[in-house]
Amino acid sequence: MRRLLAALSAVTLLAGCGWGGADAATGPGGNGTIEYWLWDSAQQPGYQKCADAFAAQNPGLRVHISQYGWDVYWSKLTAGFIADTAPDVFTDHLAKYAQFVDLKVLRPLDGLAPTADLRDGDYQPGLAELWKGQDGKRYGSPKDWDTIALFYDKAVLQQAGVDPATLGTLSWNPADGGTFEKLVAHLTVDTKGVRGDQPGFDKDHVKIHGLSAEGSGGGGWGQTQWSAFTGSAGWQATDSNPWGTHFNLDQPAFQQTLDWYFGLARKGFMPTYEEIGGANAIGTDKQIQSGIAAMGLSGSWMISTFSKLTDAAGKKLDIGIAPTPIGPTGKRASMFNGLADSITTLSKQPENAAKWVKYLSSAACQNVIGQSGVVFPARPEGTDLAIAYNRDQRKLDVTPFTDQVKEKTTFLFPVTTNAADITALMNPRMDAVYIGSAPVSSLTTLNDQLNKLFEVAQ
Amino acid sequence: MAISTSTPVTRAAPAGRVPAKRRDDTRLAILFIAPALIGFLVFMVWPTLRGIYLSFTKFNLLTPPTWTGLDNYIRMAQDPVFWNALKVTVYYVVVNIAVQTAVALVIAVMMQRLTRRTWLRGIVLTPYLVSNVVAALVFLWVLDYQLGIANHVISWLGLDRIAFLSDSTWVIPTIALINVWRHVGYTALLIFAGLQTIPETVYEAARVDGASEITMFRRITIPLLRPIIALVLIITVVGSFQVFDTVAITTRGGPVDSSRVLQYYIYDMAFGRFQFGYASAMSVALLIILVVITFVQYRLTRAESSDLA
Amino acid sequence: MATIATTAVPVVPKRRFTFGRTAAWAFMILVIFLSLFPFYWMLRTALSSNNALYAGSDSLLPVQFSWGGFARVFGLQTGQEAIDAGGAGQPIQFWHYLLNSVIVSSLVTGGQVFFSAMAAYAFARLQWRHREKVFAFFLAGLMIPAIFTLLPNFVLIKQLGLVDTLLGIALPTMLMTPFAVFFLRQFFLGISREVEEAALVEGASKVRVFFRLILPMSSAPLATLAILTYITSWNDYFWPLMVSYTDRSRVLTVALGVFKSQTPQTGPDWSGLMAATLVAALPMLLLFCFFAKRIVNSIGFSGIK
Repeated sequence: MRRLLAALSAVTLLAGCGWGGADAATGPGGNGTIEYWLWDSAQQPGYQKCADAFAAQNPGLRVHISQYGWDVYWSKLTAGFIADTAPDVFTDHLAKYAQFVDLKVLRPLDGLAPTADLRDGDYQPGLAELWKGQDGKRYGSPKDWDTIALFYDKAVLQQAGVDPATLGTLSWNPADGGTFEKLVAHLTVDTKGVRGDQPGFDKDHVKIHGLSAEGSGGGGWGQTQWSAFTGSAGWQATDSNPWGTHFNLDQPAFQQTLDWYFGLARKGFMPTYEEIGGANAIGTDKQIQSGIAAMGLSGSWMISTFSKLTDAAGKKLDIGIAPTPIGPTGKRASMFNGLADSITTLSKQPENAAKWVKYLSSAACQNVIGQSGVVFPARPEGTDLAIAYNRDQRKLDVTPFTDQVKEKTTFLFPVTTNAADITALMNPRMDAVYIGSAPVSSLTTLNDQLNKLFEVAQ
Repeated sequence: MAISTSTPVTRAAPAGRVPAKRRDDTRLAILFIAPALIGFLVFMVWPTLRGIYLSFTKFNLLTPPTWTGLDNYIRMAQDPVFWNALKVTVYYVVVNIAVQTAVALVIAVMMQRLTRRTWLRGIVLTPYLVSNVVAALVFLWVLDYQLGIANHVISWLGLDRIAFLSDSTWVIPTIALINVWRHVGYTALLIFAGLQTIPETVYEAARVDGASEITMFRRITIPLLRPIIALVLIITVVGSFQVFDTVAITTRGGPVDSSRVLQYYIYDMAFGRFQFGYASAMSVALLIILVVITFVQYRLTRAESSDLA
Repeated sequence: MATIATTAVPVVPKRRFTFGRTAAWAFMILVIFLSLFPFYWMLRTALSSNNALYAGSDSLLPVQFSWGGFARVFGLQTGQEAIDAGGAGQPIQFWHYLLNSVIVSSLVTGGQVFFSAMAAYAFARLQWRHREKVFAFFLAGLMIPAIFTLLPNFVLIKQLGLVDTLLGIALPTMLMTPFAVFFLRQFFLGISREVEEAALVEGASKVRVFFRLILPMSSAPLATLAILTYITSWNDYFWPLMVSYTDRSRVLTVALGVFKSQTPQTGPDWSGLMAATLVAALPMLLLFCFFAKRIVNSIGFSGIK
């Protein structure tokens, strides 16, 4: 009995002291260790190099990088705010940062000496402004940017007798889909070998789809799903961006585009909700790899993943990149998104954290990132290095991504407050349209709900 | 349930001893009860009161709550997602409990009539040992649309593949069946134990009269099991309403809202959207529903009386 | 779910090979198969390699046999190896989470059984005013569904500063549950009074009686309650999910959920996932193997008339 009591109290002591075990260091760091979080494992090696260089330049300071997958990253972060285990600095996303500003967990960078002198002009045009809150304060220092393009399997196109050079002139429209839909139809093959543009095509038993599907896009304004189409149809999500409060999902341009886009799945040219795995959907890269799709839209952050794709036997797949198709406006379009580094109000060493953020946004670090070829850094020189790396090392022409910026055919990711509520409302409605259980006109009701969120005083 | 009387037993004092006083163990009782009472008050009573209080506030967990009166309840009454969640949860409970109870009953009777060996009961109980999370993961894989073995068997039989967890008509029955897999063994053992309380003599008499197994089942077993089944139903229904783990792992409320059960909606509202006050209001609603259902069940099945007595 | 009174098992009537019997056995065999097949499937998938799973998904045996799944679970594969094998780059620190689960479950079980026993004794054998009223109060607690107290309990744990600690996870159920008190009280009521009275006459205090006599005599129901509590606590998901945020206080069930959502963008790491589920289920399965008879026989009712 006594032994049992002793054991029990020992265990209680352990538990109460928050026994750390193998992995500790995930709260705000102390004594010069800055805790930094990011979600992209492909970017981690590059940032580790930056961290090492930073530590060399700042004796006594050290950066500890933790990587958590996208799925858990945000819940861990918000949980960290609740439990006081948030990091000092973290990679922030335009869709989420407004909510954090509302919750007062982001520290304005203007108030900290090392970052007070960040200049908007150092970065790609428009990027830095996105990270200024409605109060005019800067909440993130730009890190990188991304756009959307078409990735395709060169072998599949060759088999279909398609010349990749023609991909740059593709156009689409909501009425008949244009040359884009013709190509997608031609690339679709059913289980009996009949192509999508030939008679006798069986849309219920398709072997390979012309275009991949990344879900309904309800969680991210259709970034890799339909944003390139709605954008090139001249549609804008909100009345103004950033900080819009009135939504435009009831406009014909939007609804007609989506009707056409999701119609591709109905015609068999795009996989259905069940085929890509429902709530556990696989991405474009996996769809191309497993032969479900011939080509698909994806973001520039996926370049390194695509460049490493192999088929089931282990042979490397030859992937090409083409720009998004031209829309009814006569121009192509791509969503322009960017990540930034933010400092939390829970950080116990904001000045040190600011030093790290300053270093991250400097040319020194961004050039290192550019040379690793994983993303396009926010600084123009870093971007050029990334283009060169992809051309020389991977033999990949990534100009379809960068030309959108050069030719100013990009539009910004919609930045609003109440992002969590918007996603919670949008996701199921968009899924319903994708699955086909609700018509596109149901999005007008959704639009009313979204507008109502902003009518009610916060 | 026998309750001991409170009159103490006084023995005749052995010669030479002072007669024993009437015992009063209050001080000792307080000592013995203290930890449990603290636990009860702190972690059951106080949270219940707090939960009710929070349901009248707006609270985002990072700043103090602000009183908003009945706003949350008004919002709840007008919230289509809440009503849908209620509907989905009720649908789930009906499918889950109906299948689970029926199958458990049959299994229990089988175990009674076929063999009483422990190994059989042990095997039937095995799924109960793993957590809901484990069960959900395994079936997520087994029922996968492209690669799951279940769909392979189905297409081998010549039928079209079924999207068990991404088709809105299949999703609730599928989740219900996953939980049946996990719980049916335990429920069967509960009923089996109840079967033991029925004297064999009743069956003997019936057999002498020429009754078949099925008749005996209908006329003897089921009526005599009524209080047991009633109790089992009350326990399992309350538990079933609280389904969360399986949904969180497999479908996260999808497709669209067809598996967005109440507990998942409450969790998402509290931790995903930082609206603790509203989430608490929905919890209060759920509590009221459960109390009412339990009460109704108790009355309907006359669980407290038994035909055996 | 109280201890079953040991009843003599009645003699089963003479077996006959009727159609009914065969159908009944066929049904039971189906039940056995359905209960056990998923476990086999877990093993088979855990021992296959991810890339081959897509091609050979209908084979009943492991495809392209590999220990990779288990290696990833135990953190034995390096990040790059894991990514190439189709897994996420993050290893799961299995032993750490296992230890956390053991600590939490042990805390809950040890505390709950002991303190509930004390309270049950007070209700069953000690004499004091208002005893029955207080017990009825406790019993009312049985009616409060766990979900209702979860959110406010979380707020309480946060205010106590115990978020993300193992103690925070264990605390709400560590002192008692109404069920445990009820269960043990039932049993204590049934213990014969003579032995107890004899000891009291000899001059033993009630406390001594409790520790030296009652507890040892109740080892059977205590053990039963302990095992059931351990299993329930081990398999708990929602509450530990709410309370733990970092690896520091993560238990096995939550770790599994995290492992699943660490899905690499290329698709779920099925072999790693199945290996993880197998490994998570193993401790309880082993416990069961040792205590099977007791656990199986413990599920039942007693004295409910």
